[in-house]
Amino acid sequence: MFNLKKLLLFLFLIISCCNLYAQGRVLKGKITIAKDGTPLPGALIVIKGTTNGTAAGPDGLFSLSIPNGPVTIEVRSIGFFSKDVIINVDQNKINVALDEDNKQLSEVVVTGYSTQKKGNLTSAITVVSAEKLKDVTSDDIGEMLQGKVAGLQVVNSSGAPGSQSEIRLRGVSSVNAAQAPLIVVDGIIGGDYDPNDVESVTVLKDAGATAIYGSQANGGVIIITTKKAKGDKTQYEFKAVTGFRTPDFGSMTMMNSSELYQNQKQLFRDYIPGTTGNSYVIDLVQFQSERPASILNNNTNWLTTLFKPAPVENYYFSAMGKTTKNDYYFGATFYDEGGTFMNTDYKRINLRSNNTYHFTDKITLTNNINISGSEGKSYDYNDIYYAYLNLPWDNPYDANHNPIYVDGNSKFQWWSRDKTNPVNTIDNSDHPFKTFDINYDLALNLPITSWLTFNTTNRGSASYGYSSTFYSPEVQGTYHGSGYLNDQSTYNYGGISTNLMKFDFKLGKSAINGLAGVEFEGSQTNTVGASGQGLPLGLESLDVVSTKQAINGAPDSPSILSYLSQVNYSYDERYFLSGSYRVDGSSAFAPGNKYGSFPSVSAGWLASNEDFLKDNHTIDNLKLRLSYGITGTQDIGAARYLGLYSLTSQYNSATSATPLQLESPNLTWESKHQLDAGFDIGLFHRINITVDAYHNVTKNLLLQVAQPLSVGFESKWENSGEVLNNGLEFAISSQNIKNKDFQWTTDFNISFNNNKLQDFPSTVVSTGEDAVSQIYRTGGNLYEFYMPTWAGVNAQTGAPQWLVVNKDANGKVTSTSVTSNYASATLQEQGSALPKFQGGFNNEFKYKKFFLRINTYFEYGNKVYNANLAQVENDGSEPLLNQIVLPKGSSVWTHPGDIATEPSPENNANSTSVSTRYLKNGSYLSLRNIAFGYSLPKTFAQKLKLSDINLSLSADNVYTFTRYLGQDPATTITPGNFVTPGVADFKYPDNRQFLLNINVKF
Amino acid sequence: MKNKILLIAAFSMLIYSGCKLEDNPTNAVTTASLATTADGLTNAVNGAYALFKDHEVFEGTTDANNMYLRQYFQMSDFASDDVVCSQVTTDPLWLSFTLAHVPTQENASYFWYISYKIISDANTVIEAGSKISNPTPAQQQLIGECYFLRAFCTFNLARFFAEPYTINPNAPGVILRTSTTDPAVKARASVKDTYTQVIADAVKASQLMTDGASRGVTFATKEAAEALLSRVSLYEGDYQSAITYSNAVINSGRFTEATAADYKTLFANAQADKETIFCIAFDALDDYGKEGSIASQYYTNGNSGWGEEFASQPLRDLYAQNPSDVRTSYIDDDVDSTGTQQYKNGIPIYYITKFSFQGGSPSLSSPIMFRLSEMYLNRAEAEANLNQTTAALTDVDFIRSNRGLSGALYNGTVPAGQTALDVVLQERRLELAFEADRTFTVYRNKQNMDRTYWGYHILGLQAADINLSVAPANYPNLIVPYTSTKIIYYIPEAEILSNSAATQNP
Repeated sequence: MFNLKKLLLFLFLIISCCNLYAQGRVLKGKITIAKDGTPLPGALIVIKGTTNGTAAGPDGLFSLSIPNGPVTIEVRSIGFFSKDVIINVDQNKINVALDEDNKQLSEVVVTGYSTQKKGNLTSAITVVSAEKLKDVTSDDIGEMLQGKVAGLQVVNSSGAPGSQSEIRLRGVSSVNAAQAPLIVVDGIIGGDYDPNDVESVTVLKDAGATAIYGSQANGGVIIITTKKAKGDKTQYEFKAVTGFRTPDFGSMTMMNSSELYQNQKQLFRDYIPGTTGNSYVIDLVQFQSERPASILNNNTNWLTTLFKPAPVENYYFSAMGKTTKNDYYFGATFYDEGGTFMNTDYKRINLRSNNTYHFTDKITLTNNINISGSEGKSYDYNDIYYAYLNLPWDNPYDANHNPIYVDGNSKFQWWSRDKTNPVNTIDNSDHPFKTFDINYDLALNLPITSWLTFNTTNRGSASYGYSSTFYSPEVQGTYHGSGYLNDQSTYNYGGISTNLMKFDFKLGKSAINGLAGVEFEGSQTNTVGASGQGLPLGLESLDVVSTKQAINGAPDSPSILSYLSQVNYSYDERYFLSGSYRVDGSSAFAPGNKYGSFPSVSAGWLASNEDFLKDNHTIDNLKLRLSYGITGTQDIGAARYLGLYSLTSQYNSATSATPLQLESPNLTWESKHQLDAGFDIGLFHRINITVDAYHNVTKNLLLQVAQPLSVGFESKWENSGEVLNNGLEFAISSQNIKNKDFQWTTDFNISFNNNKLQDFPSTVVSTGEDAVSQIYRTGGNLYEFYMPTWAGVNAQTGAPQWLVVNKDANGKVTSTSVTSNYASATLQEQGSALPKFQGGFNNEFKYKKFFLRINTYFEYGNKVYNANLAQVENDGSEPLLNQIVLPKGSSVWTHPGDIATEPSPENNANSTSVSTRYLKNGSYLSLRNIAFGYSLPKTFAQKLKLSDINLSLSADNVYTFTRYLGQDPATTITPGNFVTPGVADFKYPDNRQFLLNINVKF
Repeated sequence: MKNKILLIAAFSMLIYSGCKLEDNPTNAVTTASLATTADGLTNAVNGAYALFKDHEVFEGTTDANNMYLRQYFQMSDFASDDVVCSQVTTDPLWLSFTLAHVPTQENASYFWYISYKIISDANTVIEAGSKISNPTPAQQQLIGECYFLRAFCTFNLARFFAEPYTINPNAPGVILRTSTTDPAVKARASVKDTYTQVIADAVKASQLMTDGASRGVTFATKEAAEALLSRVSLYEGDYQSAITYSNAVINSGRFTEATAADYKTLFANAQADKETIFCIAFDALDDYGKEGSIASQYYTNGNSGWGEEFASQPLRDLYAQNPSDVRTSYIDDDVDSTGTQQYKNGIPIYYITKFSFQGGSPSLSSPIMFRLSEMYLNRAEAEANLNQTTAALTDVDFIRSNRGLSGALYNGTVPAGQTALDVVLQERRLELAFEADRTFTVYRNKQNMDRTYWGYHILGLQAADINLSVAPANYPNLIVPYTSTKIIYYIPEAEILSNSAATQNP
């Protein structure tokens, strides 16, 4: 298809693309609005089939050169139906009146269990079209949504191949229960899909929209709708994206050989704190004897040794079409993501087939199937850790460029603290994974009467996941000599069946539609794993492990049974009222507490359909909305209400039962009471603004209430405490400039969220990895850091200092002072890991066939504790770890009176202990995506028997503007094993991507 | 017709039957079932022992550094003058060296938590057992083990978190948990009341357990309870009782002092050695290697551990007085092939191997909680305090004659410038080094801890400042007086915040 000749021809056409029309005549006229005859400024008048045209002036008047002979012109303007007009040979004047197109309001939006006309919506819903999603190349829809939906926070905290972003809608509203939004694919809860197959994404934000999903909707709902056939004509699309990615180390610039050499002189200063007779000079003789200049012979950049640019490829092919009986869509994707870190990657194949068979006009049967398989290689945290911390004075390779083996017994000089060469470790280890996933959806639509329809949707799913950790006996470390293999598999069968009666009828100016029905959702998950040691060299299978064999595995079968209903009433396309009611029963709770109910009510007023606004030219759409409802959470794992002893341990080779959990028989639903008020306004047919304010209170939190440790349990599951989230969202979408050749559109959104904890049973200080504490108390914020305030370096002693805050009995601050005794420093609340506001600012410019798109995402006001700095800015307390190149203006204390930012290595007691020294402002503005593209002329495409050819170059994560010190500031906000929200540890860095996109339709 | 069939099918799908909505745990049993199933009690008692060695979830994380026994040894011996630190670390074990304790210190918090988890487990079994009419000897043994475990854990808590009895018996002790239905908010008992409870439990344990029902030295036994009573009595200054209980163990005939030849393998072979009274069994699956084994702190074969904490200079000097002392076999001097001493950050490397070489593994051992030598030393110390000098020296000589020191016995004579107690305490240091004894022995005898040697317990020390030919000078806190508040740990912040009745240590 793409042979050289055609390509050359194509290039030639690009160059010679100009308007070569024969001389002609001038057509003059006026464009008006049909309804009232007022002029329509900015309307485009184009000669059909060409790019020749003009725009109407402020008075609606235009003048256009047209060729001799009969010609068709097209008149178009945003918010109006386009019109084709034939101009006769002798005609030189024409007036055209355009009809308003309320497409925006009549556009159909996918909502929970149904669809609604956009104009009828009564709740806060954002729709993102495939067009707006496809800028960022990823296998993860979260990354694509970043910056495009007000109220949606997306954190890409890892750049590991195949990693998923963390998505939070309208803040975090729970402490211990899951927080991710519910994903619904093609109307059915859960499911697998490929981003290339996505037609649109609907984000349901308030309870008016989400309460119909009841106990699974506390984190909001994201509905993914996959592509369906659009027209009779068979359409094919082929997309190829190829390019490469590089790691983004942020400001984590590690020292090179000579920088470190110079830096280490500070460790040889003659200074013993608290004594007299210090000379404060560097003992160069001792320095040179202990750090021979020969170490400068090596200048290893461990980061660039272990991280390399890696290729990314994404190929997509689809076919769709319609016959009288059948609609079909087929999509195939191959996604191949190289990892920037040595021996990591991710590949995925996804096949989707969507078919709808029409028995009659009304009776339809839909069969959708999605099959995906992936495989890749993960990594070990320690290898990334050493990429940052090993010294540039060590060389990972021998003379033959083989990675050398180092361990604690190696007798050659290895400077780095831990005797480890990660390149050798990676050579002798492997972390492969595989997944396979199949979804089959079956839906039947069966009309019973003209207003009543039976609708059943069902999905069966099966998935398999496998991951393995392998160390060869030749590896350095724990498994040296023995090797280690650990294989873990997960099998899952899931089913969900939703059976609804849907009704829809009109009575005069009133229209009522709604649904009632029942849903059952269940799954069975089996984990099976085994590990062992004593592997023969060169073999990597469980069959050959000979020692320390261990097995693990357990089944789990959660289920939910639900009854749901919804009624939508509208009057005269002006007043709208909706109500929904869902009852969920969950296997997670004790008999008697299984069922919870989740009601909602919402109302809308489409003021622009009222007489007083109907003819308004400024305001073309005005909708006021109000909603209240309750959603819940039950996703805390099985049997949290039982007093349990775990049988997973052993003692002296015998079964042993260890206390696992305190009994909490009354445990039940966490419920989030959500109030939302908002309005949508459309102006001048080119600006759309949506504003929402919300007040969400999560009550009866499923909380792990802290117990005195002396009870023998850290916590007990109880329904206790509240989380309050108040927020404001603002989104504007604007056609700034729109004329024939040049268009500029802007999408901007910003959302503010304020979070408070209420009615907490007791104050809890949670101390996680790296001894970083966060405090949970009534009146405080979620993920609030709790640590001493860093007060710089004592100019006289070079010692670190922290703030001491003295308070009177009423808690009023009476005085503050500084101390160099860490234990007497005052613990203070220091800000939260959650942002105060975040949003996106996206612009697209089109000039003739070219486009330029610049998308940004920002977060403001969140704190990130960079735990790495305790190691890479450690004031000589761990001298054999590489150090960060500190920002300009930093200096190490050298003598009494020196005003310095870094403590003296000779007087550094506790300088790296947790304090605000390493707590950084996590605010950032990220240049998410820049794309520049060109659509080839249709005439050319047609010559190649294609209908559309688009080429573009794009760059993702181009640059991040931030004052944060460390790797990029995007830091996980999901608590977990070794993870405290907002605490940054050495991570797989996020990637910059540079890609070439080719998109062909035929 | 076709439509009607579809319609019927459709409506039938609206009705679900047989929805159990149950998702019961598959790898756990309910607490209530422990008392009602055949193996329930045995499993629960075994679980209490497992907690000494397992890495339990704490603060949402399963951290390999968190293990009761790993912390038991680091919190005691790293604070003593027997172990030297060669590496500043973010692991809270460093705070045990520097004594820069904080209330959120993870090693102390986890140790406190797991101690009470074992106590809670023991209480559950004791309560279930109290409902059994006519318990069999085997059942009595299980219940007795739980009384022992409650006493042992409560006593260890008192050692770490309360002032020594001999310094202030009226100081706050620990929270006494003797029932699972206790109110969660509860104050600390006094040290005196804590000891009373420990002794009562241990006595009860020794009565319930019988030699016939014994499950071996990897479980509590009648003699383990008596050994505990010997130790507690000594700490309490009840010397007569200390002698009585030591005698009970020594005279039970179940244990034999290891000879000089056997001693070298005592710790690698703890489960089978005749000197062991009670040890915690670690088997091959409990070999945590570099990440999380006790040994990984003290020793490495290059790959098996971090090997960052070594035998201190004063302890080595003490052993060096008698080169034939077989106890030095647990100190492994790291020299290269040319015999050159190896250093880590300026500190000479002398690995400690008391936690290694079970089954040949460098990172595996079954740590001994009580052994026969201690009974002799407890008796000797009691005798010295009761001015029974000859008896005390005889006991010391009994130990020394089994440690290759037959040529260096006291033979009833206290060396000039020393007291009998000095002799006993020095022998105790040599014999029980690295066994979580030294710190408590120093402070309960109202002595000061002298840590005037090079190591990273000295805050702000740089390798360049180390001059091994002279002792460090001018650094603060080299000598820790027994009056220091730092000789014990803070009550964990998590306890203080959720238990309004609990008071913090100064």
